[in-house]
Amino acid sequence: MRVVIADDSALLREGVARILTDGGFEIVAQATDAEELLEAVRTLKPDVAVVDVRMPPTHTDEGARAARVIREELPDVGVLVLSQVVEATHALALFSERPEGFGYLLKDRVTEIDDFVEAVGRVGRGGTAIDPAVIAQLVGRRREDDPLGELTPREREVLGLMAEGLSNNGICRRLVLSPKTIETHVNSILWKLGLAPAPDDHRRVLAVLAFLRA
Amino acid sequence: MKLARIGLGLAGLGLGLLAYQVQIDNLAGTTPARAIASVAAGWAFLGAGLAAWTRRTRNPLGPLMIATGFALLCRQFRYSHDPLAFTAFLMLGELGYALVAHIALAYPSGRVTDRLERAFLKVAYATAVVFPLLILLFYDATRPLRYFDPTPRESLLLISGDADVVAVLQNAYAVLAYGVLAGALIALIARKWLRATPRARRVLAPLLVVVVAAALRAVFDSVLSFATPPPAVIYDNLFWWQITALIALPLVLLIGLMRARLAHASVADLVLRLGRTPPDGIRDELAHALGDPSLEVLFWRPDRNEFVDDSGRTAVVPPDGLERAVTELSHDGEPIAVLVHDPALRDDPELVQAAGAAASLALENALLHDEVKTQLRKVTESRARLVATADAERRRVERDLHDGAQQRLVALALELRTAERALGATDPAARVLASAAEELRLAVDELRELARGIHPPILTEGGLAAALESLGTRSALPVTIEAEAARLPPAVEATAYFVACEALANVVKHAHATRATIDAHRENGTLVIAIADDGRGGAHADGGSGLRGLADRVEAHGGRLRVESPPGGGTRVVGEIPCAS
Repeated sequence: MRVVIADDSALLREGVARILTDGGFEIVAQATDAEELLEAVRTLKPDVAVVDVRMPPTHTDEGARAARVIREELPDVGVLVLSQVVEATHALALFSERPEGFGYLLKDRVTEIDDFVEAVGRVGRGGTAIDPAVIAQLVGRRREDDPLGELTPREREVLGLMAEGLSNNGICRRLVLSPKTIETHVNSILWKLGLAPAPDDHRRVLAVLAFLRA
Repeated sequence: MKLARIGLGLAGLGLGLLAYQVQIDNLAGTTPARAIASVAAGWAFLGAGLAAWTRRTRNPLGPLMIATGFALLCRQFRYSHDPLAFTAFLMLGELGYALVAHIALAYPSGRVTDRLERAFLKVAYATAVVFPLLILLFYDATRPLRYFDPTPRESLLLISGDADVVAVLQNAYAVLAYGVLAGALIALIARKWLRATPRARRVLAPLLVVVVAAALRAVFDSVLSFATPPPAVIYDNLFWWQITALIALPLVLLIGLMRARLAHASVADLVLRLGRTPPDGIRDELAHALGDPSLEVLFWRPDRNEFVDDSGRTAVVPPDGLERAVTELSHDGEPIAVLVHDPALRDDPELVQAAGAAASLALENALLHDEVKTQLRKVTESRARLVATADAERRRVERDLHDGAQQRLVALALELRTAERALGATDPAARVLASAAEELRLAVDELRELARGIHPPILTEGGLAAALESLGTRSALPVTIEAEAARLPPAVEATAYFVACEALANVVKHAHATRATIDAHRENGTLVIAIADDGRGGAHADGGSGLRGLADRVEAHGGRLRVESPPGGGTRVVGEIPCAS
């Protein structure tokens, strides 16, 4: 799987490149700002672009804007955005109702090497990877007549992983539970929240996120 | 001084009584009424002079009028049959009329400065003394003198009696003094009037009427002296005309001087009015109080080292001369302003100084007021600058934390994790590395929260609406947000955000509320941010130092913060921040 990495910090860029190479990815380009990134993505058409939100010159949201451009211009290129901060609204704005090939992770997730490599792969395959902290923000939000109150702690955990973009198999591996147990939990959650069973993972992520944002 | 005036008054009173008696005893054909009237004219000048001197001690007009009073009283002694009194007072008696002319020309300042007027007075005084002297040299009592009864009187100065010469001298005197000089006086007064400024004319008007009346009478007398014999009834009328004019003159002068005195009283009024007058109204008030519509006030500007007019333009102070008079106003040796005014006001320097002092006070007040306003503006500006600087500094610190420390820590944690993997799970060192990496991750978490408290990046990147949304998402209470997505100046967004942040924290901590709302919208160039809850209320704006600090911050931007918190009725914190956009 071919990857472009964009980050202005050489140290981090190199580190991420190393763990991704170790994980079996091919690093086709490394960019230090948004312009270089867009150029590399347009010419090389990688499977995934790993993009730091803050890059020169203003260190505000250059990466996020570049990510939006890539998602509009080249829908087949997966984009994994790395952010220094957890902002659900920010993440969901980039998400823009199209979960295919999109990821938004807190930058320090790169130190959880296995999960990170797995998330890059998932986004590269057209899947979704939303940071658990963002999901926690959405799940933890206080609501009046909170429907999440009916969920058991385990069900909440499973709901969070569903929202992050994990498939049932992915949830199985993460929680070390049998596929049958996970399926029971998933059905129970969907029933309690009044959601229809989704035909695929993409639509399940959409439905769950839409529910959490409401 | 008071004693002197009392003495003069008593002396004049006695002299008058004596003059009355001299007329009754010596002037055949006179009546008590005429004798009293003659004395009354003298007393009128004396009384008016004493009054004027009391009120206007530095004005020579008072003493001049007193002298005139005495001269007119003494004049009656020329009717005495005593040779010495007759000789002495016939010679000096006419001085009274020259003094009257002097007073008329000296009014209102008491000084005669015009060269022509001075020359006239010299001629008048000389005529008043020389002609009686000449008459006394030739008077041998063979024919009665004019205005005298037929009883002969003895001149002690007689050198060669000649009734014809005396008659010629008397006629010449009547023509010169009562005809030419009285006519010249009318002309001089008219000239004075024509040259006078509007203010001076108001002061001169009553005098003009009376002096012209008196002088006309003299001219008439002069003409009549050629009619022989003059009918007695005409002389009788002329006498009363003369007496009326002579009594009216000092009274009119006194009223004129007292009116100036009233102007002094109006200074007290001026002080009161100036207290309520804005700086740009000072000139008008002053012009009114001094009765000089042409008055200009030029203000001294120490910072520019020049005088300016009331619209702030550089002004040149004209020379103090015939056209305009200049009075400087200063305080503690520092110039404050100059008054450029009608030269007629020189007649009354006390008035100008008093009014000027009042104006100085008001001007100084106005300057102080200006200074305070300027300082307040400066303080307000510097406060806004301080807040803006602090905001910029917060943003910088936040960015440094994220892009500097945080990046390095994450990179370091990544190194540790990579090393841990290289060592393999069984190596004891790997466990140390793992725990170190975990510690680092916690440190990064804490650093992130710290940076967010300093300045949430989403505020810069997403604006107020996004930042409030994020704030609501993190809150321990359900929060409904209504916010306009439009971007505002960073300082306004930051201020509104921190108001919402602090207010929401207070809701969670103190309000016992079940829900909260945040509403941010623009209203006529002002951002209104309102944070409301359904809690127990009873909060005070000054209660928590947090809210007080926020109020300071909002006020630094020219806005205000208010807290509505009736007990049991929830709390509503409303910040209004001007946002010119």
